[in-house]
Amino acid sequence: MTVIDEQAISREAKPQTIRVNHFIRGKLVTGDAVRHTSRDLGIDFTTPAIDLDALIASRAEMPPLFDVKLPEIVDFLVEVGQRLDPDHNPYLQESLEFVAATNPLPRRIIENLFRRARHFLHRDVLMASLNANFHDLRYFDEWVERTDARGQSGAIRAFPPRMIHMLAGNSPAGCISSIAQGAMLKAINVFKMPSSDPFSCVAVLRTMADIDPEHPVVKSMSAVYWRGGDERIERTIYRPQYFSRIVAWGGGSAIDNVIRHLSPGLQLVSFDPKTSISMIGPEAFRSDEAIAQVAEAAAEDVSTFNQEACLASRFLFVEGERAGIEKFCAKLQERLGVDRSMASAIALLPPAELREEVEMLRVMDDEAKVWGRFDGRGMVILTDEPVGFHPSGKTANVVHVKALEDAIRHVNVATQTVGIYPEETKVKLRDRLANAGAQRVVRLGSASKHVGGAPHDAMFPLQRLVHWISQENA
Amino acid sequence: MGGAVERLTSLVDSPQRFAIPYAEIRQAQIEAMNERFQERKERIRLLAHRAKEAGILEIRSREEMVPLLFPHTAYKSYPESCLTDKKWDRLSKWLGTVSSHPIPAIETSDIEDIDQWISRLEAKEHYISCSSGTTGKSAMLIASSADMRWSRVDTVGVFSWGSGVLPARDRRMFGVAPIAHVPKNTNIAEAQAAAFGDPRFERFRLPVPPITVGQLTKMVVLRKAIADGTARPGDIADFEATSKARQQALDDAMSVAADALIAARADKLYVSGLWNALYQAAKLVRERGYSAKDFHPDNCIYVGGGLKRALLPPDYQQFVHETFNIPPNRNFQNYSMQELNSGMPRCRKGGRYHVPPWMIPFLLDKEGNTLLPHVEGEIEGRAAFFDLALDGRWNGVITGDKISLDFDPCACGAKSPSIRDNILRYADLEGDDKIGCAGTVDAYVRGLS
Repeated sequence: MTVIDEQAISREAKPQTIRVNHFIRGKLVTGDAVRHTSRDLGIDFTTPAIDLDALIASRAEMPPLFDVKLPEIVDFLVEVGQRLDPDHNPYLQESLEFVAATNPLPRRIIENLFRRARHFLHRDVLMASLNANFHDLRYFDEWVERTDARGQSGAIRAFPPRMIHMLAGNSPAGCISSIAQGAMLKAINVFKMPSSDPFSCVAVLRTMADIDPEHPVVKSMSAVYWRGGDERIERTIYRPQYFSRIVAWGGGSAIDNVIRHLSPGLQLVSFDPKTSISMIGPEAFRSDEAIAQVAEAAAEDVSTFNQEACLASRFLFVEGERAGIEKFCAKLQERLGVDRSMASAIALLPPAELREEVEMLRVMDDEAKVWGRFDGRGMVILTDEPVGFHPSGKTANVVHVKALEDAIRHVNVATQTVGIYPEETKVKLRDRLANAGAQRVVRLGSASKHVGGAPHDAMFPLQRLVHWISQENA
Repeated sequence: MGGAVERLTSLVDSPQRFAIPYAEIRQAQIEAMNERFQERKERIRLLAHRAKEAGILEIRSREEMVPLLFPHTAYKSYPESCLTDKKWDRLSKWLGTVSSHPIPAIETSDIEDIDQWISRLEAKEHYISCSSGTTGKSAMLIASSADMRWSRVDTVGVFSWGSGVLPARDRRMFGVAPIAHVPKNTNIAEAQAAAFGDPRFERFRLPVPPITVGQLTKMVVLRKAIADGTARPGDIADFEATSKARQQALDDAMSVAADALIAARADKLYVSGLWNALYQAAKLVRERGYSAKDFHPDNCIYVGGGLKRALLPPDYQQFVHETFNIPPNRNFQNYSMQELNSGMPRCRKGGRYHVPPWMIPFLLDKEGNTLLPHVEGEIEGRAAFFDLALDGRWNGVITGDKISLDFDPCACGAKSPSIRDNILRYADLEGDDKIGCAGTVDAYVRGLS
């Protein structure tokens, strides 16, 4: 069954208009006062009107989590994680069906993402993140005393921030790590949901509320949808009196709107839009076995999230014998067309502009060679220079360079992950890659695997979000 | 040229060209499309490729043409490295895949910029016009001498039909827009001046250096260099200084234009430009204390292009008309684009754009893949056109516009198909609610517009 079929069927099974619920400071809010259309697939849905006075917590009250100890918060999150089982959680089951209608990813992958989501609430994952970000966790629960070189004393506290989380549209269930971060920072949180998934965040918060509706974590959380750029809402609430941080998990027009409202006291912590690449040395093309193994690893990196994610590879720089490289291209194209846990055999087609450019390369047929067709099974384009367009929809541009060092000039400030084969080359190139702008150097085939507590977008995110307060006795 | 093409395109001089009901020419249009297809399928390589992919040997219906229409982006499909790395031979080779006529070999070893490449091809009667993409790539559209000749006749007919102004060579011509110096624009301006301009007066043109394709692409090249991290601060500073100087020159020129318009206020004027420039000129004229009462009562106006994302007050059209004393029955508008060679004038009674017999309109779904079923009445969709008049490149193009098309007669009495005056660009309908972690380095290049 193709992706398009899967989606057509799930959409037909739906009532005409889907109702989106809001969750405001611990309470479910229902209603259908406002009608919207989802950005990617044009699905209609309704939301309740947003009561801004209810949404914004007054500074006259202490944050609900202020007096709750961090270990207690972690315990609660772990318990929530145990209940996020899509086989038994009715909220997740319901939202899975709705997300399948509004999100470009196929239902099977969305379900896999939901199944994997619990992992973000494992105790060791939460603790790895905290310990990587902070050398001392006592800052969260007490004023930590210190004395400087002149003997002057003081105390420091990690004070709860007030945050808006702009959730990314291309990663359903990505809200779970944001919820965990918000809770561990003891923040007051508003999650601005994307139109491609205005459901899963509320599903997780309802799961929490079922454990204990009065729990301070629950009372610290709100999740709402408004159309990004809605001046009536954004001009009103994007103020330092109401929020100290806006966390944006991605780039795009929604961020351009946020930037207009920044002011002293209201900071944007943005995880920027990124492109990822691969680098493959001559060892890969010397035998059929090596070619098959490397093609599989490369296919894994190219096709992850059907290439909708920042860490999906788009340009593969290769060094080696032409004949082996062409064999690799053919094999890679074949491996792009298989079902994987985070990719489908047939993905949505790339945009028309890309099609035009690839078609033109085919017609000019001299400096480029193309494997595959516009059928969603993936394409491989072999060139000597990177193509001028942005490969998407499982399209890999294999760029034949004389030496991998020559590819470093194509690394820039938008480069995120660089997947490298063989292993040794990673260590050899990492300093120069970082200097050119790359942020993450991994083993080829492992772009979507993560070492716990690693920085993201060249920063330790939790640290950037804390409101550090100083009490001084100088 | 085959019989049906000849029959339909020869109507260009006919006063009855917008009086023919669609039903009467529908079959002839299909035959004419097939004539064009047979004549060009081996000559235009991209068309040959598409026909082969779709397995189409002959056009027997409108549906069969749809897979062969080129998206407007096809004219942007040249490898960007042709411009950034000055690969002129490769750019010529690309041009050869979309041209109806073979591209002759030209000397490229001493070519410094794209303007030189264009002028060498122009010397061989290949005319290249460029659309002004503000941030991304520009479309490059090739035309032949036959296209230039057609456009000169068509543009006069379109303006005359749409404005009611006769080509009596009795008007003082004022061009107040900084228009890109590309063959298509120059050709139209010259044809208009020859038909409507009073030979006693010299045509007024904004005293600014011509905007060339090279200048338009300089920005594209610099953006690429910034993205790659190879642009030096000096390169950016130079570019900014040039832009600033150009803007200053333009502001000064607009003042000169306003003064010249005021000085010529007693004469019968023909004012042309883009809305933004016309509005700026009108504002300066008003600031100097002149308005409708001071101008000739039979002035006319030729507006080219859309708003191009300029921000103007809601009443900008009225403001311009009232400043220059344009009578309501002279309110001319034309729907066309660089990708086509013929215009579609707006009628003065019904306010709709009329499609001539040699222009075959298609309404497709949003994606541009499927012809919408259209039996009667007005329906909405993505516009595509097959302009039978085009000679230098393929006739069929899918636009970026959302239009409402009606095959039935218009309230003005004309029986041709017509398009409602509510044309939008799909690109402007995207909204601004997007957020995602994947993106390109374009987001990291600030400024330069």
